[in-house]
This record gives sequence, C-alpha cells and structure tokens, in this order.
Amino acid sequence: MTSKIVTLAAGVALAVSAALPATAQAGDTLSAIQERGSLLCTGHNGSYLGFAEVDDQGKWQGFDIEFCRALATAILGSPDAVQIVPISWAQRFPAIQSGDIDVIIKVTGWTQSRDTELGLQFSLPYFIGPFYVMAQSELGAESIADLEGGVFCANAGTTVERVLADYLESNGIEYQPLSFESGEELRAALYAGRCDALAGFGPFLAATRVNAPDPDSLTIIGEVIQLEPEGIVVREGDDALLDVVNWMVSALLLAEQEGITQANVDEFRASPPSPTIERLLGVSPGVGERLGLSDDWAYNVISAVGNYGEIYDRTVGEGSRYKLPRGLNNLWNNGGLLYPLVLD
Amino acid sequence: MVVLSQPERPPASNDSALGWLRKNFFRSWSNALFTLAFGGFVVWALLSVVDWMLLDAVWRVANRDRCGHDAGACWAVIEDRWRLIFFGLYPYEEQWRSSLACLAITLTIVVSCVPAFWSARRLPVLWLAGLGIFFVLMHGGVAGLPVVTTEQWGGLSLTLFIFASVFLLGMPLAVLFALARRSSLPVIAMVTGGFIDIVRSLPLLTILFAAAVVIPILVPDWLQGSKLARVIVAFAVFFAAYQAEIIRAGLQSLSTGQEEAAQALGMPYWSVVVDILLPQAFRNTLPSTINQAVITFKETSIVTVIGFFEVMASGKAVIGTDEWGAQFIEIYVFLALVYFAFVFGLSRYGAWLERRMRVGHG
Amino acid sequence: MTAFLRSKRVHATILQCVFFAALVALFVFLGTTGQRNIEAQGMATGFGFLERSTGWPMAFSMIETSSRSTYAQVLWAGLLNTLLVGVLTLVFATLLGLVVAFLRVSTNLLARFAGTTFVEIFRNVPAILQVVFWYAVLTHTPRPRDAYTLGEVAFLSNRGLVLPAPVFSGTDLLTILAALLAAFGVLAAGRKLNLTRRGRILVVATVIALAVVLWLTGRVPDAPLVSVPELAGLRFVGGMTLSPEFLGLLVGLSLFGAAYVGEIIRGGLLSVEKGKLEAGAALGLSPWQVNRLIRIPLACRAMLPSLANQYIWLMKATTLGLVIGFSDFFAIVSTSINQSGQTLELIGILMAGFLLLNYALGTSMNLVNRRLKLKGGH
Repeated sequence: MTSKIVTLAAGVALAVSAALPATAQAGDTLSAIQERGSLLCTGHNGSYLGFAEVDDQGKWQGFDIEFCRALATAILGSPDAVQIVPISWAQRFPAIQSGDIDVIIKVTGWTQSRDTELGLQFSLPYFIGPFYVMAQSELGAESIADLEGGVFCANAGTTVERVLADYLESNGIEYQPLSFESGEELRAALYAGRCDALAGFGPFLAATRVNAPDPDSLTIIGEVIQLEPEGIVVREGDDALLDVVNWMVSALLLAEQEGITQANVDEFRASPPSPTIERLLGVSPGVGERLGLSDDWAYNVISAVGNYGEIYDRTVGEGSRYKLPRGLNNLWNNGGLLYPLVLD
Repeated sequence: MVVLSQPERPPASNDSALGWLRKNFFRSWSNALFTLAFGGFVVWALLSVVDWMLLDAVWRVANRDRCGHDAGACWAVIEDRWRLIFFGLYPYEEQWRSSLACLAITLTIVVSCVPAFWSARRLPVLWLAGLGIFFVLMHGGVAGLPVVTTEQWGGLSLTLFIFASVFLLGMPLAVLFALARRSSLPVIAMVTGGFIDIVRSLPLLTILFAAAVVIPILVPDWLQGSKLARVIVAFAVFFAAYQAEIIRAGLQSLSTGQEEAAQALGMPYWSVVVDILLPQAFRNTLPSTINQAVITFKETSIVTVIGFFEVMASGKAVIGTDEWGAQFIEIYVFLALVYFAFVFGLSRYGAWLERRMRVGHG
Repeated sequence: MTAFLRSKRVHATILQCVFFAALVALFVFLGTTGQRNIEAQGMATGFGFLERSTGWPMAFSMIETSSRSTYAQVLWAGLLNTLLVGVLTLVFATLLGLVVAFLRVSTNLLARFAGTTFVEIFRNVPAILQVVFWYAVLTHTPRPRDAYTLGEVAFLSNRGLVLPAPVFSGTDLLTILAALLAAFGVLAAGRKLNLTRRGRILVVATVIALAVVLWLTGRVPDAPLVSVPELAGLRFVGGMTLSPEFLGLLVGLSLFGAAYVGEIIRGGLLSVEKGKLEAGAALGLSPWQVNRLIRIPLACRAMLPSLANQYIWLMKATTLGLVIGFSDFFAIVSTSINQSGQTLELIGILMAGFLLLNYALGTSMNLVNRRLKLKGGH
C-alpha cells in the first residue's frame, strides 16, 4: 500500500508541475513587463563607481542605471517605471535565469560561454570597455611588466579575472592575484595599498581613481590588455525584448549623431529635418508598432534621459565628477567605435 | 596562571574599604602583581578609547578638514550621512515612514518582552499587528502613501523587518519541527530529525544564497515570491531548525507523568500540547530562546552579501561613495554600537529573565 | 472494518505513508519544474564542467593551483582553505576562550571586569562586521617598506604578517614523521615495559637527538635551517606570509568565537561543585593541581555538547571569507557559479562539502566526549 500511495503522489506532482507554466516564459518577457508596469533591472551590491552607485540620499545613479531608465521609458513611457534590484556580480546570471530580473544592464562582457551555456543573449555593445591596469604611483611602473611579482586585484567572478590571467601568463609576468566580491572592500584594499595594481576596464578604473583620497597616488598604465564589448543581456528566446533593447541603444546613438538632445527634441519633433528623424521621433506612424511599442517611444526616451552623449557626460563624462574622455565610446565619425543602425 | 580562584578562606576583614580592596584585588602576592600590571593596561586602553572616541573627536561637518590628521574619531561623517545609514535605498522624501515603521517593530519587540503578554493568544496577535503596521507603512499603496517596493527597502528598518518576520515565521515552524521530531511515528521523526541536522550543519550564508538563486529555478513562477520573501522564509527555516532543538529540550525536561495524566483524562493530543506541554517548555527554555533571538538579530547582517541594503550594507555605502572613504573605522564603530544597543538590550533582558526564573523555582 | 481503521497502528501507518508520499511528491515536483526551467532556458547541466580549466587563478591555496587548474581542483583547494582557517579558528578561539573564562571566574574584580567587557563587546557585534573591521585595520597598516617589525625577522605590513619559517624539503618531512612514529612506538612499548618517568624521557630524548643528527647530516651543507623574510622590491621574499584576508578572517572569528567559547567554559567551570574543589584542597593539592586534576576534567564533560555546537557554528562562519576576498570554499563556489553558470550543481557541491566537514567535526567531538565519559567512569 505504501508504494501505491507514493507512486500516486509522485504522479500527481508530475501532472501538476507539467500543467503549470515554467518559471521563465521565454519569449514574452516584454509583455510581462508591460503587464507588470515596471521593469526589473540590475543594481549592484554596493557601488560600482560611475555605473551603478548609491548617492548620499540612497538613490541609484550611474551609466547603467540611466540605461535601465531609458529602457523603462521605451517600454512603459516613464523613466520611473523601473525597479532597481541590488545584485552582486555572482548573482546576475542566476537572477536573470530565474526571472528575478528582466534584463542585465551591468557592463557585462559578451563571451562565448555566457552566450551559449548560460542560455543568454547579448545586445549590440552599448559600451566598449578596454581593460587596463592601474598601479600605485609610488611604484613608478611604466609598463605592466614593471609590476612583476605585485598583487593584482580584480572584481571576483568577472571577465577581468580571466583576461588578466591570460595576459600576464602569456607575457611571462608573475603576480599574486586577489579578488573581491564586494566593490567597497576592493576599493578599500586598493586605497590602503593592499593591491599594487587594480585591473579592470578603463572607465571603472578612472572612476575609482577619482574617488581615491589622493587621486595622484594611482596611475593608469597605457597598455590595453584586451577590448571587451559590453552588452545588455536578455534570456534566450526573448527576441521581442532583445529587439527593443537593440533599437533603444541604436536610437540613443542616432539621436546623438543627428544632434537631437533632451533640450531640443521638441523642436525636432515639430519640424523633422529628415524622414529618418520623422521615423525616429514617431512623427510618421507605424514605427513603434513593429517593436510592440508606442510610436513615440524614442521621443519619450530622449526627452526623459537625453541622447547617448548626454547620458555619458552626465554619469561618467565631462559633466560628472569623473570627467572621463569619450575615447572609444565616441560615435564612429568622432573616432569612436559606436554607430547607430539604419532606421528605415 | 595567576588568576585562578582559590578555595574560599575566611576574609580577614570584610567591612572596611581596605578589606574590600584586599578581597577583590590583593588576595595574594600573585594576585596583587596581576592587578597592578593588568590594571595599568586596562587604564591605558580605556584612556586611549575615550581620547579617540570623545576628547579628540571631530563632531561637526564644519570642521571636517581636521578629520584624518591628528584628530581622533571623525563623527562628522555620521552627522552628514546618518540618513543613508538608517534608511538605505528608501526614497528620501518618504523616510519618515521608515522611521515610524522601525518604531512600530521596536515597540512590538519591547511589549512582547513584558511577561503579562505571554500567552498563546496575545503574542501572535501582537506580532501580526506590529508587522502589519510595519508593512503598510513601508510598502504604502494605501491612504495616499506612494508604493515603495521591497527592492528599495533598506537600512535599520530592513534589518528589523527581517529579524521580526524570521522570528514570527520561525517560531510556529520550530514548534512543528520539535513535535515532529519527538513524534512516536518513526518515519516522521526520522525525516524531520535528518532535515533539522542537515540544516544545522549548513552555513546560513549558503542557505540564503541558495534561496536567492536556486529556489527560483526549482519552483514555478507563482510560488516564487520576491527575493526578500524567499530569503526570509529560508532564514526562518534555519532559525526553526535551531529553535526546534531548544523547544525539544524543553519538552524533554518535563516529566512524562504530566502528558500521561492529561491523556488519561481524555484530553486530545493537540490540547495536551498547546495547553500543557508547550507553555511549560517555552517557559523553561526562555533564556536559550532569547539567546537564539540575539544570534538571529546579529545574523541578519549576512543578507548584505546577497544584495540587501540593510543597516550594515547602507553603512558600507557611505564609505563607498566619494568623500567619506577614509572614515571606515568610525562607520564600523557606529554600526557596532547600533547592533550593540539592540543585542545588549536583548541579552540583558535574557539574563534578567534567567534570574527571575531561578528565584521562581526557589 | 471500522475497528480496523480506528486502530492506532493502522492510523499511524497511514499517516506515515501520506507523509512520505507528500515528501516524494515535493521532490518530484521540484525536480520536474527545475528540469523544465533549465530546458526552457537552454542552460548547460551536468558535472562535465568539473573537468574544464577555470581560467582564473586562486589568491590563496595550499595545493598547487593555477589558471589552468580544473574546477574540481580549485573547489578542492577551496575546501582545504576553509578547513585550514576553520581549524585554526577553533584552536585560537578555545585558547583565548579559556583565558577569558578564567578571568571571569577569578576572585580578582579587575580580572572579572576585563573578562566581562571582552565577552560583551565581542559577543554583541555581528561576526561579519568584526571580520570586515579587522580586515580594514590590517590593510591600513604601513606598506612593506615601512612595515612594523619585530627584531627584523617578523614584519606586519598591509601585505600581511610575514614570519620566519623553517625550511622543509620532502625528505625532512619524512625524517620528522619517522622520528615521531618512532617516539610513539618507543613510548607505547615503554608503557608495557613499565619504564619509569625518567626512563621514558630518556628514551624520547634519544630518539629526538637521533632524528636531529639524521636530519642535519642528510641536508645540503649550506642550506639555511630557517628562512627569514627580507624586503625585496614590492614584497617580502622568504619566510611565511599570512595574508591580511586570512588574518582578518582568523582574528575576527577567533575573537568572536572566544567570547562564546569563554562563556561555555565558564558555565562548565561553575558547574563543578565547590565541595569537590575543597576536597581536593583538603587533600593538600595546590590550586594549580586542583584546577588541572579536578576542575578542568569535570568542567570538560559538562561543556562538551555546547562546545561541539559552537565549533560547528564557527566552522560555518568561515563562509564570511567571501566578503573580504579570502578564497574559502564558498567564495570559490560563488566565483565558479559566475564563471561557469552551473548554479544548481555548484550549490549542491557546496552543501555536500559543508555537510561532510561538519559531520566529521561532529563525529570527532562525539569521540572525545565518549573518551572523557569512560575516563570519568574509573
């Protein structure tokens, strides 16, 4: 009798779980966001300077956060329709796989294993991150080889750990690795001199340097270890959402290329100088429908957060504390690597 | 080993100040030597702490350029950033709600410490009411209060919320576990026993991590709840596994005669348990229960690691942003004082209860 | 039939069957849902990744690892790290706890005050906060070239504590092991032969002397016996380095643990009846002998169960290493999850690892407990 009851129960459980929808309904995250009325986007466990940081009033700020807001505006029409979920580096992939968040906007490098084994898809690069090494100035290092034998710090579980190991090994440089899960501990360790050098991508290093008690005590060494394109991540099968993400990134770049800003977007909309801009700002109908959005989605995005250049300036560029040059993250016609797609 | 206590000898004279000194400090030559050497150290340590914390401290933001040089502690950082520490990510304009919510929970905890409230009927009502008020205040969405989702909860109120809800959820669960483990049905007793032992040998951090990232993969959408809910449930199970053993010890300490007598009178099982066994078991194990509560309160700080901005993470956020990075010791000491205030209060209360009960037992 | 159904035994059987069935149903439910979710996502599954190389190096490991090590090797190294820091924490917490307990039961008011203050401070602040605090303090020590030093052989800097260390080769280790075994063997044989105390000491001394001679003659002539650290460029070379991450975790947990262990030991000491101590004193034992022969053995028996629980708790607390960048088992698992994406498998390994560790710890504490009980039976 025991075995019968057990079999029966197992059978019932099988039937129930088969009848219920699976956790991540791949493919309709976009409609799930629209139904919920808010976008679940990534924050950080602590502050990742310049990209996701908590200001003195406990508000999220930064480049990645602005992109979360832009995406929320594109889908839901309001930059406030976003919930920032604080999450560590290690939790970002399990969190998106389980549906705790809708997208990862957390300067995540496009790597082969992530693309294939994790069941994820990457958008067009929205940021180009060259990896550098920043050393303590007092060491007087002019190249990475001068740091032979030193302690190299990095964020735990990021691509930096692997890229650094590859570079140093292939150049025959011995080193002591040290990695931290939390950004606060990493910075504290660097500022206190526990690390001889910090590896990471340029903007992060520069922001970390600006934040140091004495910025001159840190020097970024000119060698680029590797270039990593950072994409926005959605689940495998979420094609509709990926389309929206890609075209949002493109729209922000196109707006910058055409000189449309938060301030003058209304003028452009009133008298669009070209058919492309007409389509971008939703003056000619039907362009939003293709993506499952309203026609004026791009207009909303630009009037809420501005174009790509404005976001950059406000969070990490000239208008911020960090004053980072655009560098590779400039438009193609200004010597950078970014370009909008053709809007037809 | 100069500090070993020695068999009592009749003291030379007990009532003069000199006698008191001799009894407590200069009982023997080795004892006296210890007093002098160690006393010097203690005085030096106390003086340096007082110097750093109070006398040399910089209190106001206006003088902050003195911070980090020759001065002592730089408490200006607290004046400047106390709202971030206490409220974390909670929206700045709504932080009054967070403070009221903190007050509600603290009052609930304090009131439930009063022996007059110890009854199986009153305590659950009190706690449900306290948590209900907390939730309405924090979450909003009624009476014109804007909604604040749990992702934005932070600071002290989040710490208190996690503690209170773990306690509220974990207690009934612990009773259930304890009863199941001493059940006369071998399968139930063994399975529960095994489960409790497994949970007890796993680190809380790994259990919470699993709740945050693994559970969503294993259960369907409608069962998932928010990350905070999952973490609280997992924490409650962990708490219950420990508390169940405490309750079980309490039940075992009762004489079996009581149970048998009640059953002989024809009382049903649940009535025996609820009306006769549990109240006594709880009363007998109160000190251990308070101790468990103290441990739980401290362990709420572990949720920092999986991305919640409770009071410790919020404190670290202060060091993490721009200008206050050098004041890490001040922040850590301040956080320690905040925890200390709650934990010390609770443990003193536990000690008081223990004394009270010892007197009661004659 | 109704009587049959009402009978207690049938009731019990049915109840247990239903309970068991519900349990099986729960597991099946979780399993199938998990599988469906994983398939829907196209996530990789299985333990094949354990054979793959990680591509990232470990900051601290007791066995040889590199970025070419496999996940299996790295996880093993992480488990060993946890074991190392855990066992050392237990040792230090116990030693310090012993001191604290004796302070607290002392007749000297000042000692009692110091003991109480220690306990109240270190017990009432979360362990994670203490670990983070000590780590911050340790990294804010001077740079290597301005390191605090003790007689130019030991250095404390923000690179950690550098100590002189004996230089061992494989053969040295073998010699030492052989000598130890020989000493034990001789002792065991000596017990049977009823050697006197002096005789035993003589035998052991002879064995040790022989071993030292053997060791010295077997060495490369000019090789130093002890490696003394020296500053060379960015870091110290030679000696043995205890990194700030390791020390921070060890110091934080040891102090926290000592407060708890101290209270347990105090409870044990107080549980020994005064009469027994007085009887000891009446027999003419010195205070030290009373403590060693009567008080401590009796107290040990009373406190072992709580001590075992506390030890397991401390062992689990080593997971806090993750927070300050120590490569403990949990930190390695966490990084592996991020790099390989195989969450379920890795969490499973993590839990299995801790079950194993704590099971071993619990079993050995039980063994000690049984030994003590037997002795008490004499």
